[in-house]
Amino acid sequence: MSRAKNSSSHMRFITLLRPWLFPLGVIILYGLGLMFAPENTHKALSISGSIFKKLALPICFAIIVMVLFNRFLSPATITNFLGKNAGIKGVVLSSLAGVLSMGPVYAWYPLLKTLIDKGASKFHVANFIGSRSIKPFLLPVLVAYWGWRFALLFILMSLAGSLIVAFIVSVCCSD
Amino acid sequence: MKIGIPSDRPDLNGLVENKLGNAAHLLVIETDDMSFKVMDGPSGSAGAGSGVHAVSLIVEMGAKVILLGYIAPYIANSLEKQGIKIVTRISGSVSMAVTEYIESQLNPELRTKQPLPVQSATQNLWIDAFGRGLHQFQAFLPLLVGVILLLGLFKGFIPKQALLSMFSGSVLYDSFWGACMGSILAGNPVNSYVIGKSLFNVGVDMAGITALMLAWVNVGLIQLPAESKSLGTDFALIRNFAAFIVVVLMSSVLFSLTGGIV
Repeated sequence: MSRAKNSSSHMRFITLLRPWLFPLGVIILYGLGLMFAPENTHKALSISGSIFKKLALPICFAIIVMVLFNRFLSPATITNFLGKNAGIKGVVLSSLAGVLSMGPVYAWYPLLKTLIDKGASKFHVANFIGSRSIKPFLLPVLVAYWGWRFALLFILMSLAGSLIVAFIVSVCCSD
Repeated sequence: MKIGIPSDRPDLNGLVENKLGNAAHLLVIETDDMSFKVMDGPSGSAGAGSGVHAVSLIVEMGAKVILLGYIAPYIANSLEKQGIKIVTRISGSVSMAVTEYIESQLNPELRTKQPLPVQSATQNLWIDAFGRGLHQFQAFLPLLVGVILLLGLFKGFIPKQALLSMFSGSVLYDSFWGACMGSILAGNPVNSYVIGKSLFNVGVDMAGITALMLAWVNVGLIQLPAESKSLGTDFALIRNFAAFIVVVLMSSVLFSLTGGIV
């Protein structure tokens, strides 16, 4: 009886641990780095720390959006707006959502997974990720560095490239 | 009639588990003779989709009723539309739960599990939406932590000068290296403008710089494990590879359109 209990708790521990193997592997690399190249490792730690800090706000925002999506959006609604047959409105919506989304792309992966689970097509998810290269709030910086002509061409190329990539993804990956 | 129950043991003496996704075993019991079939439960190992996976296992085995502690309202609604009855707030032993359910069906006065009032049901939907949001994020958290730590390690150990020295002056070659750099580096896109400007100042052509800026957001080599886990390996590999090729081609086209002058 107690052996069965031990085996069950052992299985639960392994189940809980499994997702953390990747970060634990990276932490081991940090440990090795601290032994052999402490200066670079401290720099790496400080860079990671600053990324974690910058990520806090976008993550909170993404979780709020996820909760709202879970509460109000049914698979039928998502399929209607971002499904395979959503047409031009789906393209406009996914492009707009990508352009307006803030923070690093990995903060948005759980939300994008939720959208796919609820019926969004892979075309629109790929288009969302591609459209993220256009950042309205960074436009003044882009113009200041490279000028209007380049900035405009860069934005048009980004939008066109995003649609091309989304099309390739939708052809190669079945929904 | 067949009844599905999540349990902590593979027999009728086990306790009814609160949720399907955490159950060690899934039992489907034939009420006519109390014979039963047992399957291993997901025990939460399948992450966010473990509950749905367990439901499909039980339904495939022909259960028309599921007895358990709790199930997300959206799963319960969808099952009830398929004619499968869900009874929640069940605890105690499996055999007792089945017996009580059969008795309650024979004698309607014994049916104590009343539907929740509307206000409580709405509250439940919010709690459920919040719980699912947190669960979805929690399932993704380990990979996110790993990717960020790896990114820091990369930036801490690879000097920028080593990356800058790779450009040669050929449009296609520089586009390729620009896209490679942009695929590996990550962070706020404004950094790509700054690095692009410093490359421009040391004589790198606009094809390489445009490729770097486009790939910075569109292609993510270090984020690939995270993208794979969330959106599928096929999706992540095809999207990143296609984006890389498109970035190289677009940069060359942009170079031709502007004549390399900004």
